[in-house]
Parts: sequence; structure tokens; C-alpha cells
Amino acid sequence: VTYKWLSFTLGVHVNQAKQMLYDYVERKRKENSGAQLHVTYLVAGNLHQNGHVCHKVAVVREDKLEAMKSKLSTIASVHVYSIQKALLKDSSPLYNTDYDIVKSNLQHCSKFSAIHCAAAVPRTPPDTPRAPAPAQSPQSQRDPDTASVVNGHGPPAARAPPQQHRGIMGMFAAKAASKPQDTPKETKAEAKEAPGVSAASSKPPIKNNIMNNFFGKAAMNKLKANSVPEQPKEEKEVVKPSVSVAEPESSPNAVAEKPGKKTESARIQQKDKKSKTKRADRSDDEEERDPENVKKKRKRIKQLQSDSSDEEDVPLSPTPEEERAPSPPPVPALKTELEPACTEGSAAGRKRKRKRVLKSKMFIDEEEGCMGESG
Amino acid sequence: MFSEQAAPTAQGLLAPPSAEPPTFPRVPVSGYSDCSQPFQLGERSFSRQYAHIYAVRLTGMRPRLERRARSRWGNDIALRKLSELQAGEKCCVVGTLFKSMQLQPSILQEISEEHNLVPQPPLPKYIQPSDELILEDELQRIKLEGAIDVQRLVTGTILAVYGSEQDDGRFLVEDHCFADLPPPLPWNGPSSDRFVLLASGLGLGSVSGEALLSTQLLVDVVTGQLGAEGEQSCAAHITRVILAGNLLSQNTQSRDTINKAKYLTKKTQAASVEAVKILDEILLQLCTSVPVDVMPGEFDPTNYTLPQQPLHCCMLPLASAYATLRLVTNPYQANLDGVRFLGTSGQNISDIFKYSSMDDYLEILEWTLLAGHISPTAPDTLGCYPFYKSDPFILTECPHVYFCGNAPHFQSKLLQGKEGQRVLLVTVPDFSATQTACLINLRDLTCQPITFSGFGADSED
Repeated sequence: VTYKWLSFTLGVHVNQAKQMLYDYVERKRKENSGAQLHVTYLVAGNLHQNGHVCHKVAVVREDKLEAMKSKLSTIASVHVYSIQKALLKDSSPLYNTDYDIVKSNLQHCSKFSAIHCAAAVPRTPPDTPRAPAPAQSPQSQRDPDTASVVNGHGPPAARAPPQQHRGIMGMFAAKAASKPQDTPKETKAEAKEAPGVSAASSKPPIKNNIMNNFFGKAAMNKLKANSVPEQPKEEKEVVKPSVSVAEPESSPNAVAEKPGKKTESARIQQKDKKSKTKRADRSDDEEERDPENVKKKRKRIKQLQSDSSDEEDVPLSPTPEEERAPSPPPVPALKTELEPACTEGSAAGRKRKRKRVLKSKMFIDEEEGCMGESG
Repeated sequence: MFSEQAAPTAQGLLAPPSAEPPTFPRVPVSGYSDCSQPFQLGERSFSRQYAHIYAVRLTGMRPRLERRARSRWGNDIALRKLSELQAGEKCCVVGTLFKSMQLQPSILQEISEEHNLVPQPPLPKYIQPSDELILEDELQRIKLEGAIDVQRLVTGTILAVYGSEQDDGRFLVEDHCFADLPPPLPWNGPSSDRFVLLASGLGLGSVSGEALLSTQLLVDVVTGQLGAEGEQSCAAHITRVILAGNLLSQNTQSRDTINKAKYLTKKTQAASVEAVKILDEILLQLCTSVPVDVMPGEFDPTNYTLPQQPLHCCMLPLASAYATLRLVTNPYQANLDGVRFLGTSGQNISDIFKYSSMDDYLEILEWTLLAGHISPTAPDTLGCYPFYKSDPFILTECPHVYFCGNAPHFQSKLLQGKEGQRVLLVTVPDFSATQTACLINLRDLTCQPITFSGFGADSED
């Protein structure tokens, strides 16, 4: 724990962070709790070297502190630099901690510093706003397609907007509705973009449905931020496609949840380890894309709503719309769950994700009448 | 300077959290103007011969040298061109020096197949006792001998020699002189303490990471995160940071891509790409808090010939968003708060070091100032753009701070000139090797080195 890490994590001024560290050290030592703390200090001052006076700034371990202080003729400052449990062999862990925390806060790295420069204002970037916008549209475009594909053999009600929930409901409820032109394309795109999916879809139909639904969701919300708590809810809803079809639309969620829970726990057990790693991996990816994702999510919700209003053959419009709100967050979670499954049959999730994006984009570009080609 | 002011509150942060700690506003830049326009090249054409640059240099410096010669040896001495020389007559000649060295790497020798020579490995110094000095002016050349230090001088210097021609066609030199310090600039320095931090040789992208913590400490001190309150308030007086070259280390100059087969190197990135990313992050941290001037150096991705053009802003996307980042040429000249800075990233000084017996970088720095030219060895042994209208390396005004980067050690000296010039000469050490940077106080032109250190596995002190 370095003072800089503490300052960024707690959002306090760097001087306060240093004082907090000092306070902690003092209190712990007084308590004599037995936990050995190793402290490093920063010492700065004048040093007579080579005939001229040089200002030295050094990070020293506690045991060398007094020696360094005595070497300096004038001491300019002393404060706690970091605290750790183990004795550090060299200062590279300190550097790494600082590097990581600064890297994740690059835009505000001087927020908690003691000096504020009035002249340092970023120039307005003229083309950054444009970048996320186009990224969003292909994404939202992709979702309807994948949803329909997910339905797979089912009717292509996939036209249903990419809303996770809505899509699923739509898929099952609108089996009769046919959008033939979409299906072949989507199937192919889906197949191409997720080789793992096809592997999964080769499993028994019910499971296939479930898996496909998961895949569809995952495909739809590839780059969404992850919200784990809502994940189970999402999964349940997805898992229960067949069940929810029979059930009245008005309360698909409630019913779906219970059986969904069971299925979900089962599936969670199955892919627990993988999902964890993949979740971590996914969350990493999602963190990276966070600023974009937030925008994408918003845009998608808007588009979902607009799409839903278009859809006629989906009688579930009222319910799905309510569910739409919670669904975007759960969808990423769902997608995360699906990811592990997907990745069973393919290379690392990250790589697949990239592949998927490419492929879907290709698909969008080519609009109707063309088969999406691998990116 | 930091220490005295900061000492009272040195131990202030060894205490439980207190009230809201103070933030110090950075001292604003009152006067900054970039004077390095002569070093910025617009459209470049390399189809010209380099002889023009020597001709322009000679005509540019001749008046000054003639004035100096008259003031030194009397007003009535005869100033002759080489073509007007008469044997035995004491006169003064102004011309360009040429030092013919046996060991000087010559491209003609290398490609000459009859000799079957292996290309000469780079030596630290190319001087030899058998070197000779030749004076050239617009039309003729003549060998020099006598009271002139052959080892010390380098090609391209304009000087005036006083002596007479011998019967065997050589010129016997009795005395010589250089252009001496250029006329002084008026002093408009600040009245309060203002500091400028000079650092060079950050050496990012190198394999070893020892200097990384020191670099981070440097950034922290400048941005005010490190140190107790006293030190932070002193750091708020740093008005500018100048990074004088070699931001990337020599390791990033991997030339393997030229030698290896294309299919092996297709997927590999140049090492400098990663290094530039790290540089971008460091610059971003600095730019959010202090104006930074970045000069390119020997190993940086810009052109090789002097004057090196600024790094392109597309390489530094994060930091370029801030107006506090300035990418400047090498050599660099600017007016900071009324103090004229002039400096290079060290290629000129190290080149003179190779071809002269002078060993001390500070001595060489002073010598270039006295010779009136930043880099006399260009274009002979140092790459240079073929100027033909004017030579921008001639010193026309005396700067207040004259620095060179990437020196082996830190050295500084305040030079007083006869006409009232005051120049602070600073050799900025290589940060990746010495972890030392320089703090210059603009108020009284003093310089203090600032060293950073972490602790390693071997506890050296």
C-alpha cells in the first residue's frame, strides 16, 4: 500500500493519505498486535556530494531511515511512503503499485496532488464523440440478428429487438411468426461467429435452446458492463424459454425465475470454474470498454424501446418493456455466463470476442442478401 | 534551495490526519516565447551540396572575427585572404579549420574494395598525434603549424590566426582567437524564485527497470505528490520542465528488422512503440501539472540530422490533449520569464568529444560558446541539413542558460563575459544512468542537481 494508491482509492489528498498511513502505523505499533508491518519512508534533503550540494530524494526502508537522515545535512521532508506486510527486497513492487493505480486513473492523475496548475486544461478533442456512436449502432444491429439465430431452429422472431428478455420471449412466443430472410443469414452469421455455439447447439434440443439463448444474449451484449447480482435473474429468464412460452406472458418472469434458479444453479455448478475465470476476464474487458459501454448501453436501451414499439407480432410488449430495464444489465451477466460455455469450444474468450465483433460487423455492412463473412 | 525553505515543516506529515491539507497553485508562466524558429525546417530539400553551409558560416562569422582580431592584436594588423598572402609577412587570416585525421571514419575507405577493409568499429576518440590542421577560406587552403593546439580543435571552427607564411608553404601561427562570447542579452529575470527542471536521457524502453522508480519519483516531486508540505510548496515554483532528449533508450533502436527475414519480424512490434506508450503516460502525468518542453534526442523517433524536428504529436495521443505539452526542436531556444535558454540534446558535444582532446563536457560546452557556434563539426562528422542561406547554429546572442543533455555527469558553471554576459553552463546528466536531474533557479541563475533513488536488493547508500 503506497500513499498514492491510498490517495486514489480513497479519493483523498496525497498529504492526508500520507498522514493516514503514519497514523495507522503508530496505532498498530501501539497495539502491538503482533502483525509485523514494514514501512518505507521518503526522505528528501541536501546532500554534500562531489563538492556541490545536491538535493536528494530517496525511498528508504525503515531500518535505513536514520542512516539516511544523518547523511543529509538538511532534511526537507520525511513522510511515510508505503506499508507492507512483508519485507521488500527492492522497490519494484512499490513502482508497480503506483504504476497500476496511475494507469487506471490517467485522466485525473493530478486530482489529489498538492499542486494545481491552471494552465493544464485538455484541448477539446474534436473527434472523440464520434467514435462511440458508430460502434453502438453495429452492436445494436447485431443483437436482433443474433437473437433470432439463437432461437436457432425456432421461428426467426429474432427480429425481436436484442433485448435479452424480450428476445427470448419473442422467440418462443412468436414461433409462428416467420422472418425467413433473416434466419438463414443469422444462422450463418451466428454459426460463423461462434463455432463454440454450434458445438453447444449440437447438444439435446432443450439444452440447445437454453444454450443458444445464452449465446444469443452473450452475442448481443458482448461489450456490456457486467452486473453480477442481476446475473442469476437474467439466467433464469433465459433458461426458461420453453417454460415461459407456455406461461402467460404477464408473469413470465416470476415463474421463470424459480425454475430458472434451479437450472442456473445446475449450470453454475457445471461451469463454475470457467465462468469465474471468464467473468474475471470479461469484467476486465468490460472495464476497459466501460466508458464506451455506458454509452452503448444507453443507446441500446433506446433502440430497444424503439424496436419494441415496431414489433407487432410480439404480444409481450408490455412485459418485455418492463423487463427491458433490468435486462440490459443482466444481459451482460448472462453473456458472461455464456462465455464460458462458448469458450469451451474455442480459443480464449478475448479472442472470440474480437472475432465475434468482426464478424457481426461484416454482417451488418453487407445488409440483406449477403452472407456475413468471417472477419 | 528546496531544502532550506522546506526544512521547518519537514516532519509535518509524520502525524495523524489533520485538517484539509493545502493545495498550492502552480506558479503561472509569465513570459514564454519560443525562439527556435531558425531550427524548424519547413520544406526540406537534400539535393544541395554541403559546401554552401561552410561558405555561409564563414561569411556570417567573418565580421565578428575581424573585430575580435583587431581588438586583440591591434587595429592596424593586416587582414588578408589566403590568396593575398605574401611570404614572411605578419598578417591575420580568417578561415575555417579542417582537421585531417587518419582515424576518422570515412565512407570512401569503407566501400573501397581494393583495400578489403573491415568497417572501422566506433572508437571513443579518433584523435591521433599525426593529425594536422588546415585552414581554408573561400578559395584556398593552407597547413597550419605553430602555437596552435592541434588536438584540441575540431573541423568546422571559424577562427582567426595571426602569423606568417613560411617558405615551405605552411603558415606559422603565433596566436589565434575565436569569435568569443556573442553580445549579451538584456536581463529580465524574475524577482522571486522560479525553477526550471532540466532532465535528459530518461531512457524508457530499456530492458532494465531500475530507473523507472526514479522516473516516477521525479514525476511525483514535480507534480507535488511527493514530499512534505514545505517541499510541495517549493515544487509549486517549478514553472517548466524541459526534457532534453533521449527519452527512449538505446535498446529501442533494434536494427534487427533490417537484418532478419521479413516473415520473422512481421508480427513483432518495434521496441520503440512500447517505449513511446510509457513515455506518453509519463508525459500525461507531467502535463496535467506543469508545462513541459520535449526535445528529441539521438535515440528518439525523429530525423537524424541536426536540427532535429519535434516529435510528432500523434505519437503521444494522451499527452497531446494538454496545451501544456510543447514538442520542440533540438537545439532549442526559448525565452522563459525573461531568461534566454539555449540547449541541445548533447549530440554536438559528444561529437566534439570524439574528435578533440577535450574530455570534460563542461569544457567543451564552454568552448562552443567561445567559438560562437553550437556545433562546428556538423556537417563533417555530425549529420546536418544542407543549409545554404544561413547557418542557424551560429550564436548571435548570448543566452543566459546554455545546456546540453545526456552528459555523463552533472556539471555547472557560471561564466562571466567581458561585455557583461552572464551565462550559466549546465551539463544535464543522463537520467537513466545517474538518476539526476537539474533544477535551475531563474532568479539568480544557480543550478542544483536533484537525485532520486529507491532501494535495491543490495543496500548501497
